[in-house]
Amino acid sequence: MKRLLVIKIFFPITTFLVFFFISGCKNDSSDKGKKKVAVIVSTLNNPWFVVLAQTAAAQAQSLGYETKIFDSQNNTSLEADNFENAIASGYNAILFNPTDADGSVVNVLKANAASVPVFCMDREVNSTTAATSQILSDNYSGCVAVGKYFVEQMNKQGNYVEILGLVGDNNTWNRSKGFHSVVDFYPGLKMVAQQSADFDRNKAMEVIESLLQAHPDINAVFCGNDAMASGAYQALVAAGKANGVKVFGFDGAEDVINSIKQKKIAATGMQFPKVMAQTAANYADEYFKGKRDFPKKMPVAVELVTQENVDDYMGYGKKDNTQK
Amino acid sequence: MKIAKYIISIVVMIVVAYNAVFFKKLDEVKASRTTTAFNAAQYAQTFWNTKLAANLDKATDITKLLTMLSKDPAKTFETYSHALGIGNLRCFLVKGKGVIASINEDDISVLPDSSKQAVTLATEYIFGNAVRDATGLININEFTNTMDFNNVSAELNKIIRQNVLPSFKQQAKKGSVIEFIGAVELNKEHLDFSHVEIVPMKIEIDE
Repeated sequence: MKRLLVIKIFFPITTFLVFFFISGCKNDSSDKGKKKVAVIVSTLNNPWFVVLAQTAAAQAQSLGYETKIFDSQNNTSLEADNFENAIASGYNAILFNPTDADGSVVNVLKANAASVPVFCMDREVNSTTAATSQILSDNYSGCVAVGKYFVEQMNKQGNYVEILGLVGDNNTWNRSKGFHSVVDFYPGLKMVAQQSADFDRNKAMEVIESLLQAHPDINAVFCGNDAMASGAYQALVAAGKANGVKVFGFDGAEDVINSIKQKKIAATGMQFPKVMAQTAANYADEYFKGKRDFPKKMPVAVELVTQENVDDYMGYGKKDNTQK
Repeated sequence: MKIAKYIISIVVMIVVAYNAVFFKKLDEVKASRTTTAFNAAQYAQTFWNTKLAANLDKATDITKLLTMLSKDPAKTFETYSHALGIGNLRCFLVKGKGVIASINEDDISVLPDSSKQAVTLATEYIFGNAVRDATGLININEFTNTMDFNNVSAELNKIIRQNVLPSFKQQAKKGSVIEFIGAVELNKEHLDFSHVEIVPMKIEIDE
């Protein structure tokens, strides 16, 4: 009787548990195949961000997720639409490159409300709680290194122009502040103009063309990114001043690395967009697998690339296999 | 009646258009971004007086460190260096004793005891995060904004520029024996022993 009772009670329970365990495992693996990762990027009008977005998408795909890239075209309203679309379309995580440190917080909070984790890449949002993690270039320190090299190259004296990126972006100010934290110690170095060109090559070209009218005697241009450095160099070539004016950039874009090799541009700060994008995708994967204790901010070191060490580098990374 | 409607519509349109577009001076935006409740100077001073002072004895001898780096760089970086995040740039807390070999415009060259390889103590370019990061005692997650974190570096460097270097630069002479504790940043992938520049945090001239 007892034996029968044991069989009657324990057999169904054991069978149920085994079935539950097996079906649970099965669901897990099939769910992974269905999970979708959205890559929302500030702009695809700049090759640097194309590399960032494509690498993030490729890494997420290689981890088994469906991906789609959304272009915010440097417009916070369009970015809000992208977030709404991604959430409505059932994306399970967002790898995010914001347009505005303050303006983008609300979009990240929207994703939070929908229980969608957001991993920021390269640019930060001004909130330590909104994003699950923010993987950021150490822009300030990178520009400290550029600033020190700038002072050395200029022999501590000369007139220069600074071209800023988007004024709403923290990276713009972290770079500018890092640069000035060095250069402002030297009274012989005089900033004759500081103007924004929104990280855009064509705008930088226009800004330099116009600034050269008012300040024909500049000795250097410091640009907040490489696209603007290329535009600035192009404007200097057009004005016949390319040989007398040193141009400094920031990013590590392929054309600027080539320009440094050709001694057209003096130096740049090498960021590692591929490292940031891959880390963000890996974090999303770990999140899906249950991890929750991510560092709120993960800085990625920026390295100074000059005409002396340019052979160690290639566009968007190092030549070796550690950081591509 | 129609005219009144038109006038009201035009007034509404003007009000909306006027409020839709606004201009801000770049200086104002810049100022608003640098205004922060975080007091980096106070944080840096407290860190310097307490955590940093209490951990200076953990510094590794520079000669020993350079030997270890040349023999097994990966293990040495893993054991002795600190960095906040991902990347090749990592910082070491170092100490040494040696003779001043030369006094240059931007630095001082020191020949450590039992070594033929001179090291450089920076006296002009006191910049970067080496001092902030070398001990590994500061956590980036303590800060709301990376700008605050960056300001800590600037303030720590300011302390060195104001409190450590002036008296040393005044007294330092070629041939003087000095003892120092400092921070150095090295590139893990491209280790260049010819550019080892130490940011001094404590220097004593032996009489």
